[in-house]
Amino acid sequence: MIRVMISKPGLDGHDRGAKVIARALRDGGMEVIYTGIRQTPEQIVQAAIDEDVDILGISILSGAHMKLIPKILTLLKDKGSNIPIFVGGIIPDEDVNELKKMGVIQVYGPGTRTSEVIEEIKRYFEHANV
Amino acid sequence: MFESKIVEGIKAGERKALASLLSICEDDPEKANSILNSFERRPSHVVGITGSPGVGKSSLINAILNGSKEKKIGVIAIDPSSPFTGGALLGDRIRMQSHATSENFFIRSFASRGALGGLSPSIFEACNAFEAFGMDMILIETVGVGQSDIEIANVADTVVVLLSADGGDEVQMMKAGLMEIADIFVVNKADNIMSRNLLSKLKATIEMGKKEIPVFMTNAIQDEGVDELLKGLDERFKTISMDGTLEQRRKMRFFDHVRSSVRREIDMIMQKIDLSEFDFYGLKKKVMEELCKRS
Repeated sequence: MIRVMISKPGLDGHDRGAKVIARALRDGGMEVIYTGIRQTPEQIVQAAIDEDVDILGISILSGAHMKLIPKILTLLKDKGSNIPIFVGGIIPDEDVNELKKMGVIQVYGPGTRTSEVIEEIKRYFEHANV
Repeated sequence: MFESKIVEGIKAGERKALASLLSICEDDPEKANSILNSFERRPSHVVGITGSPGVGKSSLINAILNGSKEKKIGVIAIDPSSPFTGGALLGDRIRMQSHATSENFFIRSFASRGALGGLSPSIFEACNAFEAFGMDMILIETVGVGQSDIEIANVADTVVVLLSADGGDEVQMMKAGLMEIADIFVVNKADNIMSRNLLSKLKATIEMGKKEIPVFMTNAIQDEGVDELLKGLDERFKTISMDGTLEQRRKMRFFDHVRSSVRREIDMIMQKIDLSEFDFYGLKKKVMEELCKRS
């Protein structure tokens, strides 16, 4: 059973994307913890660790991703966690590469098919042998 | 995480060890039982919060946490698994996220994974894991329930049945099942003008029965009425610790825990047997024989 957490950090309240993904992953047979909007990186990281999730999805549409994602990655590392992260939202191409260099496994923009997200997550865990 | 590391971690109060142990409870409950067997456990007050979907269970738990900063509390929040895909959307945490970073609290979401009655198949193991971690109180939020989902009564020391004013007339309250298992009633959404009406009907219904059941009124999202409820919960724990009720509830819980574990063994045995080879009594005998071999 794959356990996923979907979270929205920062101040943007546009949660349709996060909800669509949470619902799609549920229909893809995963257990999805949705933590709601306006979360601090600290809240997200502690919840992901306590919930012992296999993967963490972060949705950002505010443009603050280059501040928030590194913060989340650093906090996870500080707490000795290696939970993989994927990101969804409005992310410019040049930032996509930067985020991937930092360790984000995938970035999904507008127009991504939900089936693609489900398949990629499942494939990730097949290869990771979990 | 290795077993010995988990045991050490739990003893040292490490959250990550508890997080791993709770995953084992879900994925391999028998392994969890063997790990948990090595712990001496001080009984936590296990409180079940139950009621229909949207009545305010998660919000009430959040309000309880707001008012209990000095207690160590574990939260088991259960939401339903899909019977079609096995997937689940676990959303109880949303109402409690302000406590995600509180050192004294540990919130964990569970999917019901096919269990009926509003709980998780690993509920006993999960409770024992939180007890081993030294929690003062364990709050179990059931799935949003109907009239006959009463499994929580076999697990909790105290069952809180949550009601709100949009749930039907007096006859609904006279029905058997959920209304019978309450040790405490809470009328939530007190700001609803019909809540007073519900309160008086509820009290009248209780008077028809033999048991005196305390009733509290809360508006959980504003923290109103929660101090009184907390006092009520503490008083109840003191009373049941002394009058034998707690001991009796624990016995029932122990009994049901063993039964759930034996059932799991039977399921495992039956999955391996070629059912087409046996008639009814033949299969029954075969299962019981296999069961004896395992013990």
